[in-house]
Amino acid sequence: MSRPKPLVAALAVATIAATALSACSSSSAKKTNGGTGGGTGGVFTSIDANNKITAGAPMNPYNAAPNMFLGYNIMELGFTKNDPADPNALLPGLAASWTASDTGLTIQLQPGAKWSDGTPVTAADIKTSLAIAYTQGTAGPVAGAGGTVVAGSNFEVSDVKDLGGGKIEIDQQPGVKNLYFQRLVLTSTIVNDKVYGSQLPADIWTQIAAVQGTDAAAASAASTKLAAEGKTIAAFAPAKDISAGPFVETRVNPGEALLDRNPYFYAASKISPKQVILRSYSGNQQIWGYMNGGELDYAPYTSMPTNILNQVLKAGYTRIDAPSYVSASIAFNEKQAPYNLTPVRQALAYVIDRDAVTKVGEPVGGIAAPTTTGLVGSQSDTILSADQKAALNPYKPDPAKAASLLQGAGFTKDASGQWHLPDGTPWKITLQTVNGFSDWIAASTIVANELTQFGIPTTAAITADFATYQKEMGAGKYAVGWWLVALGPQTDKAYARIYGSADGFSVANGQATHNDSAAGNWEHTPATYTVNGQSINPGQLAAQLSVTPVSAQGPIIAQLAAATNQEVPMIQIWNYTHVMFTLDKRFTNYPKTGQDDLLANPPGVWMMQGYVQGK
Amino acid sequence: MTGFARRLAGKLLAGLVMVWVVVTFTFFLVHALPGKPGDVQYEQYIMMGMNSEQASAKVQAVYGFTSHAPLLSQYTGYLGKLAHGDLGQSISYSGVPVSHLIWSALPWTVIPVLSGLLVSFLIGVVAGIFAAVKRSSRWGGLLTVSGSLVAGVPAFVLALLLLVVFHTEWNLLPDAGTSDIQYTPGWNLPYIGSVFQHAVLPVCTYALLSYGGWLLAMKSSVVSVLGDDFILASELRGITPVTRARYIGRNAILPLFTVLALSFGVMFAGSFFIEDTFDYPGLGNLLLKSIGTRDYPVMAGAFLLITVSIIIANILADLCYTLIDPRVRR
Repeated sequence: MSRPKPLVAALAVATIAATALSACSSSSAKKTNGGTGGGTGGVFTSIDANNKITAGAPMNPYNAAPNMFLGYNIMELGFTKNDPADPNALLPGLAASWTASDTGLTIQLQPGAKWSDGTPVTAADIKTSLAIAYTQGTAGPVAGAGGTVVAGSNFEVSDVKDLGGGKIEIDQQPGVKNLYFQRLVLTSTIVNDKVYGSQLPADIWTQIAAVQGTDAAAASAASTKLAAEGKTIAAFAPAKDISAGPFVETRVNPGEALLDRNPYFYAASKISPKQVILRSYSGNQQIWGYMNGGELDYAPYTSMPTNILNQVLKAGYTRIDAPSYVSASIAFNEKQAPYNLTPVRQALAYVIDRDAVTKVGEPVGGIAAPTTTGLVGSQSDTILSADQKAALNPYKPDPAKAASLLQGAGFTKDASGQWHLPDGTPWKITLQTVNGFSDWIAASTIVANELTQFGIPTTAAITADFATYQKEMGAGKYAVGWWLVALGPQTDKAYARIYGSADGFSVANGQATHNDSAAGNWEHTPATYTVNGQSINPGQLAAQLSVTPVSAQGPIIAQLAAATNQEVPMIQIWNYTHVMFTLDKRFTNYPKTGQDDLLANPPGVWMMQGYVQGK
Repeated sequence: MTGFARRLAGKLLAGLVMVWVVVTFTFFLVHALPGKPGDVQYEQYIMMGMNSEQASAKVQAVYGFTSHAPLLSQYTGYLGKLAHGDLGQSISYSGVPVSHLIWSALPWTVIPVLSGLLVSFLIGVVAGIFAAVKRSSRWGGLLTVSGSLVAGVPAFVLALLLLVVFHTEWNLLPDAGTSDIQYTPGWNLPYIGSVFQHAVLPVCTYALLSYGGWLLAMKSSVVSVLGDDFILASELRGITPVTRARYIGRNAILPLFTVLALSFGVMFAGSFFIEDTFDYPGLGNLLLKSIGTRDYPVMAGAFLLITVSIIIANILADLCYTLIDPRVRR
């Protein structure tokens, strides 16, 4: 047995050393807790909500979990404005301007665009980046589950030509039309050819040409090769960060990244912070804690109750609201009775008080959905005419109407007030939600109370994690559960979310086919609806949206909105608002509510435009 | 072969068999988890505006390290690689070796847990002896209550409590991470000081959580030894209280020593809740993340490390026990 005395002595020494060392660095805690002051050269601190910053993960934007940050050291040719009227509208990035034509796009690079090693951004960088995009599934013909090339659903870049003077022509595959070609090309990540070019085979553009060719066998072989090359790119770990953005990565600690200002950035004079610290977070409470201590200059939205919002505002933060294109909904598996009956879904929509549920589930970042259309309220308000909006059923809480609908469908209510299915079985609902989704979980308790009070005993069940939820939902295990819909601002994507693969629709060459037994189909709605006396195919209409110019989409959207409103494949409960917080203490001149184009992007993009200046 | 060597060889062989059993069990267990790598990421890509084909292709590209071979063939392949010390590549950090992730996380678990363990053991044992000897006094009672109290508090509650008091309210200590990123890592005072500062709350949480267990175990053990005949005999023979205390201490600490040795093995599992609360990038945190992302190779690697360390600790505890307790050798 060891003698205690030396051990005690060693511990005493260690304790004294720890105290001394802590004293040496006592300013460090104050520094991070209170920030380093603004002014030019200050440190801007924020949270990166997308990445779990991990020491050792590659500085490669194509990796699954990269230590790279959009708008800081990841650059695009342009940045989204999230404009529902024109998804192709973008803010300038590495491209100062662009002109679209029938055959593609011509861009003009920013004068003086340079990498952080001082070398200029060239056409070769753009060409390499767009070739890599092909291998990552974000561009070009995409290999489907069986390796089949799915053409027409993406931008098909066929060539990139250097016209000199920073002008670059990007050609689209002849004969292919994609409404969002401009958006998809310009929002591709641009990387350095000298770093990434060697990761690509010399014949990459020959492979791309083969994929776009008419020889199906050659296209399939080339597609397989591209997919394999994509994996090589994803695993690549550059030795250091070479950035064309306003910042370049200096160091990564577990959970934290330090970026220094890039002196070669084309608009370096507009960038006020000398350094940026980005933190990852393990839970909402952590962000609330940071904000209570005034540690963050910018905080992305995290679900929070009203009392926390008040604390955060008291700590000096300003709330900024921007549009968000996500809606929380309660969706149904129509393969499970009685949810295959439209009156049942409509009745449930009448029972659930969306205002009351939103007040509990998402009081800060949610607005109760005005009704169910498949789009967020602000978007459907903009697109639909006054008559079309008036024709929508708002499903205001009305238990009498709900009861009437159920009685009409053969349901009965017993003396105790409980509803029974037409076959006499007592009707019970299990409302499924996911661990970690605190807003859904809180809202579920209210929904369960409302339904139980109405006479349908309802319990909220929680799935362990989202991967399991996806798996079990796809396997048809849940009859009623939470789901995110109205993902925009591209309306075709919003409707493809409802009438796409999750509903057994697949699209090829602009034609949608419906297969009720298709893998991943968990909604099981019918292939057609009858709306206002007309038979419509929602999957086909959603596919049609993707090839219809935004200006001509109105009539299709009106049909889809009316069908969704009538058939209620899901009940939209609330539409999320993109709430974020800024601290006007060390930095000032932040974008404000209403500047939606800027607010659709991270603060690095604001800085490029001259915002976020030191105090 | 000496008796000791024979005993060692037997235990090593049994340990190897146990490792194989656990490796096999965990391999199939983690693959039986519902969901697959990329499921969550797929949803995020959809929310970012990709259509389902694009999102699937992107998931295929970035999670392309997922094997589609039959499970049995994956298992034999895994065992073969394991025999060569290769734990495979991470799925969620496409292409990064699992061993790299584990080695990066290891120090951030071992240092705070070891510190917390030793501090709590020393304080708990001393307090346990005191609580046993003075069990009828108010102080003895208070110590026992304090032990029961902290032993019963869940880890995440204690961690959150310390976080709120020492960071949110008083702002004395940093709340997350391992050091201030503005200091260059290395053997320089500001960086090392910052590491110490960041470790204070996790170490205190570990120490407080296990202190109660040591105290109660030691108290119970001492009370039991106090009733032994040899203590009565030593009193009757007039042996000094100091010598008697040594007898008591040596005999009472034996059961705790086994637990301590096993705790060294268990420590490699870190603590999910503590590391998660303080965003401390140790093995527990890594394992938690890998479960969420269905990163099978990382999960299997972390479980393997935990298993092997517990088995080694067990073997060492057995062997050391023979050294410290002569009765076992007979």
